[in-house]
Amino acid sequence: MEGILFPRGVVEGLEGLDAYRSRGGYDAVSRLGEFSPQDIIATVEASGLRGRGGAGFPTGRKLALTLECPETPHYVVMNGGEDEPGSHKDRVLMENLPHLLLDGIILAAYAVQAEKAYLYINHNYEAATGAVETALREAREAGYWGEDIAGSGFSLELVMVAAPSNYVAGEDTAALEVIEGKEPLPRQKPPFPVTEGLFGKPSLVNNVETLANIAPIVARGAEWFRSFGTAESPGTMIFSLGDEMERPGVYELPLGTPLRHLLEECGGGLKGGKPIKAILPGGPSSGFLLPDNLDLPLDHDALREAGSSIGCGVVKVLTEGDSVLDELMRIADFFAKESCGQCPACRMETNMLVALLKKVQQGEGNDALTEQFGKVIAFNKGKGFCSLINMPGPPIESAVRLFPEEFRGA
Amino acid sequence: MNRFCLVCQNVDCKSRGSEELMKELQDRVAAKGLDDVEVRSYMCFGACQEGPNMVVYPDKCWYAGVKSEDVDDIVAHLAGGPHVDRLDKIDPSLKELIYQLLDTGVF
Ligand SMILES: Cc1cc2nc3c(=O)[nH]c(=O)nc-3n(C[C@H](O)[C@H](O)[C@H](O)COP(=O)(O)O)c2cc1C
Ligand code: FES
Repeated sequence: MEGILFPRGVVEGLEGLDAYRSRGGYDAVSRLGEFSPQDIIATVEASGLRGRGGAGFPTGRKLALTLECPETPHYVVMNGGEDEPGSHKDRVLMENLPHLLLDGIILAAYAVQAEKAYLYINHNYEAATGAVETALREAREAGYWGEDIAGSGFSLELVMVAAPSNYVAGEDTAALEVIEGKEPLPRQKPPFPVTEGLFGKPSLVNNVETLANIAPIVARGAEWFRSFGTAESPGTMIFSLGDEMERPGVYELPLGTPLRHLLEECGGGLKGGKPIKAILPGGPSSGFLLPDNLDLPLDHDALREAGSSIGCGVVKVLTEGDSVLDELMRIADFFAKESCGQCPACRMETNMLVALLKKVQQGEGNDALTEQFGKVIAFNKGKGFCSLINMPGPPIESAVRLFPEEFRGA
Repeated sequence: MNRFCLVCQNVDCKSRGSEELMKELQDRVAAKGLDDVEVRSYMCFGACQEGPNMVVYPDKCWYAGVKSEDVDDIVAHLAGGPHVDRLDKIDPSLKELIYQLLDTGVF
């Protein structure tokens, strides 16, 4: 199936500069003077692209908000912090399509008139770092970045920064702190990075996959982009399947593709043809779905209406016999460990949820105990600098609703 | 029935001296021979800005911003004396949440 990022929707190995150029790559960059920043922003806005870093924020709007800020200089940050369990899409993009990515970063930087873009990459990603490094050198030699790109008068510097491998380091303002040479601790918002970001200046922070969509959109137009996906969630998304499936890996699919297609056609079903018990379609902060939901379209709105979320496309499937409670314990433990500790409410909540789940695991569950989950979650909702505090809620509350028997005592 | 004097030992309360406070309470309770009272640590009561926090349970009595000069009165309460009203300053909805958690046995 045709993709937007991967020409055939599947990973086909590292694409070098010549191969990328032969499919039209860097075309807009090599004629940059023919476009205005507003042209690029208008195209991205018309495409309806939404951020692929988890929150689904409209990318065109973010570009416009950054460009509008009179304060200078402006910065761009590619967020390749990626440290969510099971997520490899950003690594796969950087390893295989580094030029597609640079092309998008250069266009985005031009659109917001940034003088410098930081490529923030998980420091454990050696192959990705190497591929991006090589691509940076090749693109520099070809004149795609540096002084006065293609005679446009626009100059751009690109720099790589190693991201620490803890989960919070991928939060946008924590990433800004790291780039400034500090600890990866999220900042209180507002102000948002678009107005006061890196070194206090207007900054565009976008996920790797989001930026990878920019060059194809500019090259082939918003209408072509919208021929993939749904009206509200246009384009494709990269979904990651884990080792519980017959064919684990990453798959680029149009948004709105039924969940069943991803799990059965792409993933080949659960190993050994085992039956599905529950699905977490959007990583550890999404709500559980049941096998009845297999025909749901994978898009932002449909999953939200079903009490879940698309997150960054990491799909985890449990089979009959797997314990939902054990999975919740792993999730709660993860968030408790990854909570940066700055916000008291987040620390309290994540520790408390682990303590409650332990009680249930020890066979001491009862209705009064089960009720406490929702109360602790509601009490702390939104009381943190970043949204980690809201993340354990959906999987736990959906499990309470869908699998009440697992919360009862022995 | 056993009574607990739960003293928060999470980051904020610790930074306000809850470790020393717990030690002092333990020593004083032992010295007084209050065998039915167990002074022990708690992971966090969610009122971190107002610490050090401690809760006497099952009395459901919450003392916040406790200083070492308050220990005499607290020990007197544990020995059957009156509540230390001046240390009772926590929002009722948070109290309710924490007391319910304690009722369900989350220690
Ligand atoms: C705890 C936490 C971790 C995050 N980790 C990442 C990450 O690794 N990569 C990423 O792109 N966004 C991550 N985000 C989301 C970013 O804060 C931000 O929304 C995103 O980079 C914006 O990009 P987008 O608009 O292109 O989606 C994280 C958010 C939170 C709260
Ligand atoms: S740190 Fe003591 S109440 Fe939270």
